[in-house]
Amino acid sequence: MLWTAASFVIAVVAGLAVSAALVATTGADVPQVFGALLQGAAGSPKALMTTLIKATPLILTGLATVIAFRAQIWSIGQEGQVLAGAMGGYLGAQLLAGLPPLLFFPGVLVFGMAAGMVVGWIAAVLRNSFAVNEIISTVMLNYLIVYLLSWLLQGGPWGETGDTVSYHQSPMLPEAAFLPGLFGNARLHAGILLPFLAAAICALVLSRTPIGYEIRGLGHNPVALRHKGVNVGRTVICIMVASGALAALAGAVELFGVAHRLRPDSLVGLGYVGIIVGMTGALSPLGTVLAGLFFGGLASGAVYMRVLGDVPASLVPAMQGITLFFFLCAGVIARYRIVKVAAQ
Amino acid sequence: MSTALRVEGLTKRFAGVTANDDVHFDLRPGEIHCLFGENGAGKSTLSSCIFGYYRPDSGDIFLNDQPVHIASPMDAIRLGIGMVHQHFALVQDFTVLENIIVGTQRSGWRLNAAEARRKIGDICGGYGIEIDLDAYVWELPVGKQQWVEILKALYLDARVLILDEPTAVLTPGESAILFKIIHKMCQRGMSVILITHKLVEVMQSNRVTVLRKGRVVATLDTPRTTPDELARLMVGRVVSFTVTKPDLEPGETVLAVEGLNARGFWGEPVLKDVSFSVARHEILGIAGVAGNGQKELFEVLCGARRPAAGTIRLKGEEVAGMSPRQMMDRGVGHIPDDRFREGLVPDFSIADNVVLGWQRSPEYRRGPFIDRNAIDGLAREMIAEYQIATRDEKVAAGKLSGGNAQKIIIAREFLHASGLVLANQPTRGLDVSVIEYVQMQLLRKRSEGFAILLASEELGDLLNLADRIAVMFKGEIMGIVDPRTSSVAEIGAMMAGSRPEAAPRKERVPA
Repeated sequence: MLWTAASFVIAVVAGLAVSAALVATTGADVPQVFGALLQGAAGSPKALMTTLIKATPLILTGLATVIAFRAQIWSIGQEGQVLAGAMGGYLGAQLLAGLPPLLFFPGVLVFGMAAGMVVGWIAAVLRNSFAVNEIISTVMLNYLIVYLLSWLLQGGPWGETGDTVSYHQSPMLPEAAFLPGLFGNARLHAGILLPFLAAAICALVLSRTPIGYEIRGLGHNPVALRHKGVNVGRTVICIMVASGALAALAGAVELFGVAHRLRPDSLVGLGYVGIIVGMTGALSPLGTVLAGLFFGGLASGAVYMRVLGDVPASLVPAMQGITLFFFLCAGVIARYRIVKVAAQ
Repeated sequence: MSTALRVEGLTKRFAGVTANDDVHFDLRPGEIHCLFGENGAGKSTLSSCIFGYYRPDSGDIFLNDQPVHIASPMDAIRLGIGMVHQHFALVQDFTVLENIIVGTQRSGWRLNAAEARRKIGDICGGYGIEIDLDAYVWELPVGKQQWVEILKALYLDARVLILDEPTAVLTPGESAILFKIIHKMCQRGMSVILITHKLVEVMQSNRVTVLRKGRVVATLDTPRTTPDELARLMVGRVVSFTVTKPDLEPGETVLAVEGLNARGFWGEPVLKDVSFSVARHEILGIAGVAGNGQKELFEVLCGARRPAAGTIRLKGEEVAGMSPRQMMDRGVGHIPDDRFREGLVPDFSIADNVVLGWQRSPEYRRGPFIDRNAIDGLAREMIAEYQIATRDEKVAAGKLSGGNAQKIIIAREFLHASGLVLANQPTRGLDVSVIEYVQMQLLRKRSEGFAILLASEELGDLLNLADRIAVMFKGEIMGIVDPRTSSVAEIGAMMAGSRPEAAPRKERVPA
């Protein structure tokens, strides 16, 4: 346990060291850049809040990754499912407008999740019935959804049109459709509670329920599961639908909590970074929460880093990649021990 | 006396376990030397040290009386040591020729297949090995795949050949051919280390070294020892080889199979008009060489494979084409032949494996959650009842030896089955003492009134245990014989494809 923790701490340190070298190549002042990063991530209550808000969708897409990857189902569809979730939520907002908030918000989130579930279900059925590899199908579905959203917003029914130009975004949602803030702070939307709730449920389902047992079993030995009467096809559908729902929830929360309008650029990358978050979290729900907070901090600190440190913000994705690399190494190293052997 | 290979004072420890403890071993030129012992006695560790997989903690290895340092299998191969593993290291999608020459390039980048083909052809001709060099490995029966491994060692000019449990996958006939060729190798000056726990094979060697718990118990000249002495040395106590089977009248028919047909991946027939029945208090043995349809038959019966035609009636109910779930719910227990692949989730704990397939049952659940206490308690009971050697129920099943892993499966299937147990090769690769135990358990179930279908490649086991023996060849049942009135030769001939001439077909008509 100590060794495992130590190897992950070493991974963070090594990741930061390599990142520092990368920053140094830009000619920037390394301590200053990292200081800015830290300040932006956790230097003030406001920074912490931003970190939490940035981490929210990442933890959710990370959990979507965990559910699928634990069963060795390599879904890359989180990216499209995030968009689908936002679209479903937006549609829900049109249909449910005027309902009291206690019905409206759960309702629109369900709409969003349903859209992601449909996307996951399609990939699962393609895999079960036509043996289409889920990596291929989910990547293709990602493209499909990106272009569907593009069409809806640009010239389609949801686009915001000015007098002469059309913007690549929807009109603003009415204020009644903004997720309410916590502690009287409008930016700190209530959606930040969802990833923690979702992580707790995922942890409980994976470790304590029969379906969790089957998900883990599927990842280890699908042949034995099939021989012992588990309906593997149905389990795959459950997994993909649940994974799609989690990723879509990220998109819906982002729409109602942060962006308040359908705008692709605020959503792009959340799914792919979620894969990194889930992997960095060693495919455990708790680890994913920690990894999500870490990556949320990086995202939040990136703004400060660019402004104060005068380095390109694109260093942040590079740092994410470097961190993941070292975490994957740490995951392997954690399995080994240095043992003292008695002399002959 | 000069030695081909000598090991002195070899010790190899793994975390907390001494797998080899001060082992002395020598191999004379031209001899077959058996390493004999139970699973975990240290046979494989010793051979892995010789072949360079493990580095011994202490001790020396001499080749032709010269000290050698073997740091990797590559070193071993260069020194003329070859090894054929129990689990073949073959590329299924490569041809025989490609498998033999892959990774053995001595001519730089050129493949030089023509020259290799000539050389392998010479080796085959010299030993009388018949194999199609252009056949894909997946097309070959397991017995032939082994030849590919052996040919690879010979192609690399091995002078010392280590064979790890080579007959585990062979028929009596194939084993005989293998031994003929091993003897021929020795006549040509090669030396062979044969790892086995089958006494019949030990008796064909020149010398035998018995290992127990990592130590050499004795090295004996085989002609001057007896199977009884060897068994006693191996186990450390006297073992009985025949379990006693009580006389029981078969009851009503439990399983009746009529005209069963099944097809393989390419649509080829793998089961052809198979008919038989099993009754309460009865063990129906299935004899046959591996790969003659036993696996497919068991898969169809447990629901994992759909039959193409035919009827399967379980206690009168038509069950052909039902899923594994439906068969399990009808009380069918299945002990598959590939225990770590089909019977267990190796990464799961013993406790989780004891309920594999039954994880949704109300008795292992509390509300929507798995009842950890109930499962762990059950697992502890099973560990005690089936004498599973483990620290506790939380140990991963994959960390157990084959025998203990098999006991988990048997415990689980016996616990949940009612009426019918399908046991495919339940004793394959197990220690003598575990085999004895498994056989006793099967007989216990028979006494309790179960119907048991038991496939085994060990004819001796079937003759001991079965009430009737059905012999399979190329997906067909050649005949069903009474073990009390049939000889090994008679059944052996049927296993090779001949039908019994006068043997009475005592097939009971299902009620």
